Amino acid sequence: MKRCDKCNITIITNHKYCPLCHQVLQGENDEPIKEIYPDTISVTRMILPTTKKVIMYLTIISILFLAIINWAGFNGSYWSLIPISGIIYFWFLVRVGIFSKRNIAFRLATLTVLMIGLLIFIDFDTVPDNNGWSLNYLMPLLLMSANLAISVIIWAKRLNYRDYFFYLLVIIVFSLVPIILAFVNIVTILWPSICAFLVAISILLFIIFFFPKLITEEIQKRFHA
Amino acid sequence: MSNKLTSWFKLDNSGKIFPEISNQRETNTFRIQIALTEEVDPEILQMASLGILERFPMFKVRLKHGLFWSYLDYNTKPFQITKMTHEVCSAINFRENNCYLFKVLYRNNLIAIEMFHALADGSGVITLLKSLVYEYLKLKGYSVMPDNMIKTKFEKSIQEEYEDANEKYYNKKNRRHIPEKKAYRIKGTLLPNNNTGLISGTINTQKILEISRSENLTITEYITALMMYTIYTTQIRYRTHLKSNKVPVKIFVPVNLRKHFPSETLRNFSYFLKTNMVMSRDDITLEELFNLVKNQFSEGIKKEELIRKMSENVAFEKKIIFRFMPYFIKRYALKIGYNMLGMKLNTMSLTNIGKVEFPKSIEPYIHDITFAVYSGKFNTVNCGIISYKDKLKITFTRSILETNIEKEFFRHFTDKGLDVLIESNYVEEFI
Repeated sequence: MKRCDKCNITIITNHKYCPLCHQVLQGENDEPIKEIYPDTISVTRMILPTTKKVIMYLTIISILFLAIINWAGFNGSYWSLIPISGIIYFWFLVRVGIFSKRNIAFRLATLTVLMIGLLIFIDFDTVPDNNGWSLNYLMPLLLMSANLAISVIIWAKRLNYRDYFFYLLVIIVFSLVPIILAFVNIVTILWPSICAFLVAISILLFIIFFFPKLITEEIQKRFHA
Repeated sequence: MSNKLTSWFKLDNSGKIFPEISNQRETNTFRIQIALTEEVDPEILQMASLGILERFPMFKVRLKHGLFWSYLDYNTKPFQITKMTHEVCSAINFRENNCYLFKVLYRNNLIAIEMFHALADGSGVITLLKSLVYEYLKLKGYSVMPDNMIKTKFEKSIQEEYEDANEKYYNKKNRRHIPEKKAYRIKGTLLPNNNTGLISGTINTQKILEISRSENLTITEYITALMMYTIYTTQIRYRTHLKSNKVPVKIFVPVNLRKHFPSETLRNFSYFLKTNMVMSRDDITLEELFNLVKNQFSEGIKKEELIRKMSENVAFEKKIIFRFMPYFIKRYALKIGYNMLGMKLNTMSLTNIGKVEFPKSIEPYIHDITFAVYSGKFNTVNCGIISYKDKLKITFTRSILETNIEKEFFRHFTDKGLDVLIESNYVEEFI
């Protein structure tokens, strides 16, 4: 075994110097030994992959161009916001929809809500005389399909239902929004909102009737103080 | 966890702060590592860890965030052991670790558990690690017996293991808040890339016991006083005129409260003793520090004082305004508070896990045990002590390059004629 004369200690190592005083060690190891701790590997900083860099570059350039063209020939409308929000949504789609490691219910719920937000924005930002389509049709129908999709996923992947359940509840709560908007006459075409409401309410009642514990537990978990 | 009443539980009082304040440097993890006398077989270790997690559903959890607080939820993903890398007590990447809050590491003849402090303290990890090693050896085909010292996988988990013991002993009347001042910080060159240097020395338990008995002290008291003295000689002496040297040196020594208050919990249940001395004199002696540490420890270990510290923290958590503050605001409040003051209250943490005992039938397979805690930006050098049979292992982890404190500390023992066996991860070799 190796020794350090200066510190008067014994060391089990293959290294040649003392970890305490950095002096050269005396003696040799009788038999080959394995180092106790692994060698330190210097961590290289994560560099963005080239594709990501290219897309990032193109995104920033296009946003810049759109904004400047809009500003230079300004005629009262902020039309550039529509393609820009589309581009930003694309990033969310890639980041949350494809590369996120979160569960699929979270991704579906997030993207649906973002998509609705985007469509409402486009709807009310542009053509002044023909708006309302996003609230009348797309919002309830998107919510309904997200609702059905998450329910089917939970039913199919019964193993992880606990992780998915919260997002289903979120979408169900959102599905009640169109019908409320219909009552205050913001939504004028009723049948999509009613469909979404019926789907949401039947899923909610199904959970309340058949899995009551799940719903109380989820509420306790998320809202305990 | 299907047979349990609920599949989730709150973080315990002392665990609540850790998820919010931890980052790559302040990782708040610690490691207990057992060296077996033979090579570890990863496949069998993997099987053993899966079996053991069924017995300890308390550890089969993931961290989630609610509207007001974080909480621990049942983890549906399978547990996976990992090969040990150079990182010591690094931040646990939950995504890569299937959301578990601890890691089981293996390398050559080592089995280690790295635990995030939000979930459990040293005592809980010792229980888990003992069971894991027992299960591993059993699966290897050795005839080992639990001898009522080890929780095997056939036992049922009990509700008491989950309890938040801090809340149980909380006393509304004894919760006076005593403000604290910043502590002395050990200076040095920070290691790059959040690396941690590790140096541990093994000393004969009997001999160190004799030395501390001759001064009428326990091992912890002796080492704490010696640590203060080492900090004083290496960092402060003859430079006492500096303003930064006029703040108190405070050594943070956790106490396992299970020894003082009955509890079976596997979660956090430890508070701390603290030494406190402004070392701005040129003539401080070790004997003087022995007396100081002895007095300050006997003050701190009184039941009323321990309950006061416990209640002080629980009372903070119970404040209405804080309880109903939304999580995302609370998180930043805690973070800012901790970075401004909380982190700077201790010079060094010195944890003595104490003696770890194994059944007679397992002892031949175990070489020694190491205990290491993370070291951060303010607590640049930390110390962990654990003893197994006649081996007392003192492990220093540091986030700085300098090794003065370790050197002077171990030289104290070699000057007294004791043999010290040093191990190191030689982090300075690679940067």
